[in-house]
Amino acid sequence: MSETFFPINDLLRRKFQTSLIIISLTLCVASTLFLLLFGSKIGFGISLIVEGKLTPGFSAVFSRFMMFIGILVFIVGGVIVSFMAFVTTAQRVKDIGLMKAAGCPNDSIFGYFMTERLIVIFFSCFLGNILGILADFASTSVFNSFGLQIPQVSVNFWLVLLVFVLFFVFTLIFGAKPILDTTRIEPAKAISPTYYLGLGKEPGFRAISKSNFTIKMALRSLFRRKSVTIRIVLCLITVFVLLTTSVAGGIIAYQTTKNWIEKAVGRDMLLIGHQEMCNQYKLLLSRFYEEKESPLFNYTDEKYLISEELVTQLELISGVDIDTRLVIETHIREIPGYVVDPDTGDATRVGWNREGVSIIVGIDPAKALNEWFLDGEFLGSQEWTAVIGDTVAQKMFEVPLNQGILLFNGNFGIIGVCLDPLNNGNVTYVPMKTLQKAASISKPNIVMAKINSLVNRADALNQIRATVSAVNSEFEVFELNTILDKSLGFLSYIWSTIMFLPLFSLVAASLCLVSYVMLTIAEQRQELGVLRAIGAKPITVLKIISAQSFIVLLLCYAAGIILGIILTLLILIPEPFVTGYTVVEIVQWLSIALATMFLFSLYPAVKFAKKPITEIITQT
Amino acid sequence: MKTDKTMVLASLLCKTYQIGDIKIEALIDVNFKVRKGEFTVIRGPSGSGKTTLLNIISSIDKPTSGKIVVFGNELTTKDENFLAGFRCNKIGFVFQSYNLVSTLTVAENIAFPMEWLRKSENHIKKQIEALLEIVGLQHRADHFPSQLSGGEQQRVAFARALANDPPLLLVDEPTGNLDTKTSLKIIQILQKLKEDGKTIIVATHDEQIISLADQKLYLEGGKLVNLDE
Repeated sequence: MSETFFPINDLLRRKFQTSLIIISLTLCVASTLFLLLFGSKIGFGISLIVEGKLTPGFSAVFSRFMMFIGILVFIVGGVIVSFMAFVTTAQRVKDIGLMKAAGCPNDSIFGYFMTERLIVIFFSCFLGNILGILADFASTSVFNSFGLQIPQVSVNFWLVLLVFVLFFVFTLIFGAKPILDTTRIEPAKAISPTYYLGLGKEPGFRAISKSNFTIKMALRSLFRRKSVTIRIVLCLITVFVLLTTSVAGGIIAYQTTKNWIEKAVGRDMLLIGHQEMCNQYKLLLSRFYEEKESPLFNYTDEKYLISEELVTQLELISGVDIDTRLVIETHIREIPGYVVDPDTGDATRVGWNREGVSIIVGIDPAKALNEWFLDGEFLGSQEWTAVIGDTVAQKMFEVPLNQGILLFNGNFGIIGVCLDPLNNGNVTYVPMKTLQKAASISKPNIVMAKINSLVNRADALNQIRATVSAVNSEFEVFELNTILDKSLGFLSYIWSTIMFLPLFSLVAASLCLVSYVMLTIAEQRQELGVLRAIGAKPITVLKIISAQSFIVLLLCYAAGIILGIILTLLILIPEPFVTGYTVVEIVQWLSIALATMFLFSLYPAVKFAKKPITEIITQT
Repeated sequence: MKTDKTMVLASLLCKTYQIGDIKIEALIDVNFKVRKGEFTVIRGPSGSGKTTLLNIISSIDKPTSGKIVVFGNELTTKDENFLAGFRCNKIGFVFQSYNLVSTLTVAENIAFPMEWLRKSENHIKKQIEALLEIVGLQHRADHFPSQLSGGEQQRVAFARALANDPPLLLVDEPTGNLDTKTSLKIIQILQKLKEDGKTIIVATHDEQIISLADQKLYLEGGKLVNLDE
């Protein structure tokens, strides 16, 4: 028997098992490579790639998420690979035992099975790399067709090689160990199911002796097959943590970031001002989701300033809240500050005198119609205070809350850092009156208005439009929901991408479950055949097998969800925004995943239940 | 107690197995009948088709051609759900290799065919006690199969086969794996069942069991052979 022909013949004769292993490993390699390739475009380097597109605050959430999911995908890959290595060896231990019993030398047995493993691993890694590259190409094309500008760059072949080598080596190590262990044990032990399936002599589980026959048999079989059950449980828990983090985390993160944007822009908000000024303000808002060149714009042009008369008339409209603002673009400068060590009391200077250009918004804190996600606090009664956007904070400041900002020769103490899509976070909010004094401009140049729910919105809107056009025909009223929806759509695209990433891992895990069910069937084949022979219907056999996979799945599902939610809420997203709808959406997605995996795992059970009884009983 | 009522009727039974290009004829034109209460023994060398014949009578397997009528049911025309119910209600099968469910205790192994027929808990309990007494294993009710000897497992297999009080008992080489002393206990059980009027078909080489037979069939190369001729 040649060391080449035995493994090839053996693999070809066990087509289903061989395909299952190759597909599982291929998907692990493909998902990892896909994550690295696609992630390098939208994920890991997101703060660099989308600089000028996403604010650093939002980028941080995405990057943290991508990094975490990336690590989990690697771990899932490792767990799946080790599980498959164990299962494939568990299926062959009896054969190894028989070969040993027949006098085949240990090194020959090791050679046969290692060659077999090498062939499978090589094909899986090779196919996985191709699939990963194709998936990356396809995903980039699909997302670009939705309007996202993800660069279709040439494939980094060093990365491809790295993934190939890593998986090849790891799988070989994981795969070699059980074979080596098995070739070392005595033949009698190797041909005993007690060893190769990790069976104890007794199920050791009698607590539910009065329960239904199907459940009783399923539970006892699970407890008896401890070693393999523990492995599949660990494997599936990791997968469900990944799934929960990406699905639940993705939904929560999307809802949270959506909430930040909705608050910062304001839902049902009206923008009132000169047509050109309104267009410029819309352009500033749109910088969150698309890069646009902005021509020089004179914010302080007289024609953009809003008269007191218009403001007063708008304030008189019943059910309408008014928030006047002065928007200016100007030079800003970082003012160094001091950080005091709480233990020693020593003060350390932080910051330099970096300069830049920022949009400055003068706002009346008492009348502000929107809110921001803040680090620190928002403006109050203090005059020389400022809240800066996260892009300004990241680009120009060391410890912003301990520093100041210089504009119009006025020194403003920074009391908060906000997440704001306006000018993609390159914005500074200061009290209106202070800005008017510093910039010597007495009037606002935009008005934000909001119609409260107590009045008829259409009537109030018509009244606002009439009032505005009566005062100045060049002024317009614009509903900001269009811009807001575009920003939210952009966020939605990105989160959908992230939630799409663990799909391969999920499919690979489903194949693991199929392998587990196959192992379950292999171990119980004789008993299940006998049950059929003495009168059990095929559906009874199907119920016994499916009950086992369902119990395992449900257990892992519960544990995975709990761990995933804890990780998501405690580590990944600051101040998560969770509504009843969010919970329903998460449960819905995860239940679909659970049901799909369960149905997937039924395939070998259905196939087995349909077999003729004599075939079941006689086949070994 | 024997009557003239025919319980099993086989006519021109053939069974062919195809392994690659090779055809193996396990049964060739087998004809026989078994009357109610009759103790029939099937003899023959290994590979002569004894187990295949028992499998076909019990509806575990289907013949390639020919007819097998058991209790008036032409088994080859029935679907799997009917056959499952048929096996559970009408047939008790004792396998050569015991085939107990390793995750269930002795009592549970005997109970589950009754659970499928939705028998009451009280009935199941009484039946288990009665059957364990017949096979002499009352003290083993809560043990798992792995804790029993081969002979004890075979006796549990008898108890399980009798759980639903089937009118036909099929037994495949019941003493094939047992020593003389243990075999005796099995023979005693068979004798008791014969006295109770149970219709029994046994595939065996055991002379003591053959001596109990009302009808003796001899299979050789898949064909029934009349030894008198």
